[in-house]
Amino acid sequence: MDIHFSGVTKIYEPDIVALEDIYLQVDRGEFVYLVGETGSGKTTLMRCIMRGVVPSRGHISVNGNVLRKISNHQLSLFRRDIGVVFQDFMLLPNLTVFENVAFVLEVIGCKPKEIATRVADVLKTVGIWRRRNLYPPQLSGGEQQRLVIARAIVNVPSLLLADEPTGNLDNCTADEIMQLLLSINAAGTTVLMATHNDYLVNTYRNRVVEIHKGRIVRDEKQGGYEANVAL
Amino acid sequence: MKQMSLFKYVLRDGFRLVIRHLGMSFLTIFTAMAVFFVVGISTLFVLNVKNIVVMMENQLTITAYVVPKADIEEIAKLIKKMPEVKEVKIITKEMALEKLRARVGDQAKAVSLLGENPLPASIEIKVGKAAQVSDTAKMLVAISEIEDVVFAGRVAEKLTRVSNFVERFSWILLFMAIAASGVVLFNTIRISVYSRENEISVMLRVGATPTYVMMPFIIQAVVLGFTGAAISTLLIGATYYSAISGLKDMMPFLPFIESKTLIFKLAFMLITCGSLISFLSGMFAAQSFVSRASKPL
Repeated sequence: MDIHFSGVTKIYEPDIVALEDIYLQVDRGEFVYLVGETGSGKTTLMRCIMRGVVPSRGHISVNGNVLRKISNHQLSLFRRDIGVVFQDFMLLPNLTVFENVAFVLEVIGCKPKEIATRVADVLKTVGIWRRRNLYPPQLSGGEQQRLVIARAIVNVPSLLLADEPTGNLDNCTADEIMQLLLSINAAGTTVLMATHNDYLVNTYRNRVVEIHKGRIVRDEKQGGYEANVAL
Repeated sequence: MKQMSLFKYVLRDGFRLVIRHLGMSFLTIFTAMAVFFVVGISTLFVLNVKNIVVMMENQLTITAYVVPKADIEEIAKLIKKMPEVKEVKIITKEMALEKLRARVGDQAKAVSLLGENPLPASIEIKVGKAAQVSDTAKMLVAISEIEDVVFAGRVAEKLTRVSNFVERFSWILLFMAIAASGVVLFNTIRISVYSRENEISVMLRVGATPTYVMMPFIIQAVVLGFTGAAISTLLIGATYYSAISGLKDMMPFLPFIESKTLIFKLAFMLITCGSLISFLSGMFAAQSFVSRASKPL
């Protein structure tokens, strides 16, 4: 899935400029880090891609479709092709690990047999199959994060938006999550990952887009967390 | 096939919602039941009153006495031409005497003491509606050959007034009952919707259509409304027939409705009405939330 931002500005009423004049092209199969301090506009940019936020100016197109012009029904279909790892997890505490993932396939009308197979596969991939009958509050932080990733990739999306997927995790667990995201990317999924984790960005080198006060201030292939960090 | 699976999931979720909020579900079913019971009973009351009015209207007659030597048959023809008049019958002097004899029964012999038949010939006139009795009587008085007119004017007018009032009151009651059950159902569904706030938010983000998100809530509302209305019809059936058998003993001269078809029709109407109101309440409650949740910032 390729993404194109053209002169995108987002102003939250009355006058908070979240994004300003963003031009960005992300090609199919790329892995892109979005870095920048808290409140710089990383989350807003990601929300714009799934039309959770509508730009005040400019336009965004995904696979050639201008997001502003798609209908509500088309938006639902479009979102099925995007996996989202939410910053705040948004797991459903009254559903088991298995049900939290199965739920995504139910809303698109998959048959129970197909759901059982696909959920088992994805839970095994992220390494929490043995926890399938537990509820989210019974999981550790790392396991919850894996569950969120499992939910995001179960529908085999073309694009994965990961907002701080390693926040509050130790480096060892963050490493495991990162390996998981890289393997998803290697399978052909475009990954956009917002992060504050300099260790990961500097260790697993990929394209880095830095945002400061709503503007892109750096777009570097194989970049580090800070500008001019030597390889 | 996908549609079939989706339908199964929304149906399952709808019933899950009913069970998840069991206390609220009972309260809503009870309210719907009470409301539809009142509506059903008041409908039966109105139908019975109307039935009585129709019966009494059929018995409402105006008796017109003609002047002696007037051609009674000509006058009868003239009266029959009036648009309000349904039936005209000439009562000869002999027929009047027979009627009197029949009415007095045991004292019939006393009638012969009257000697020559003193009773005048008359015309009995039936009109279409009770409300028309008074006006028709005034028109009859205007005919010069008619000496006197006797009719149950006040009874007719009162009966019409009661019938109109009951009908109007029952309409008001019906609207109030529908509004009350609608509001209760709307609030129950709104509570359910808010209890699934996170779930709805995730659903919309992973590509659920607004219709899919709304459907379980609509099913929940219809299940509650339908159950309430169905229980109320069972109660109406039971109470109505026991009330009718009691009333028939007390007032055997009144024609109460006992048709089972009518009760089935009423049950069908109440259940359809209950399901429709709950469908609309559920839809509005879920739609207002879902459209807000799916609106981009």
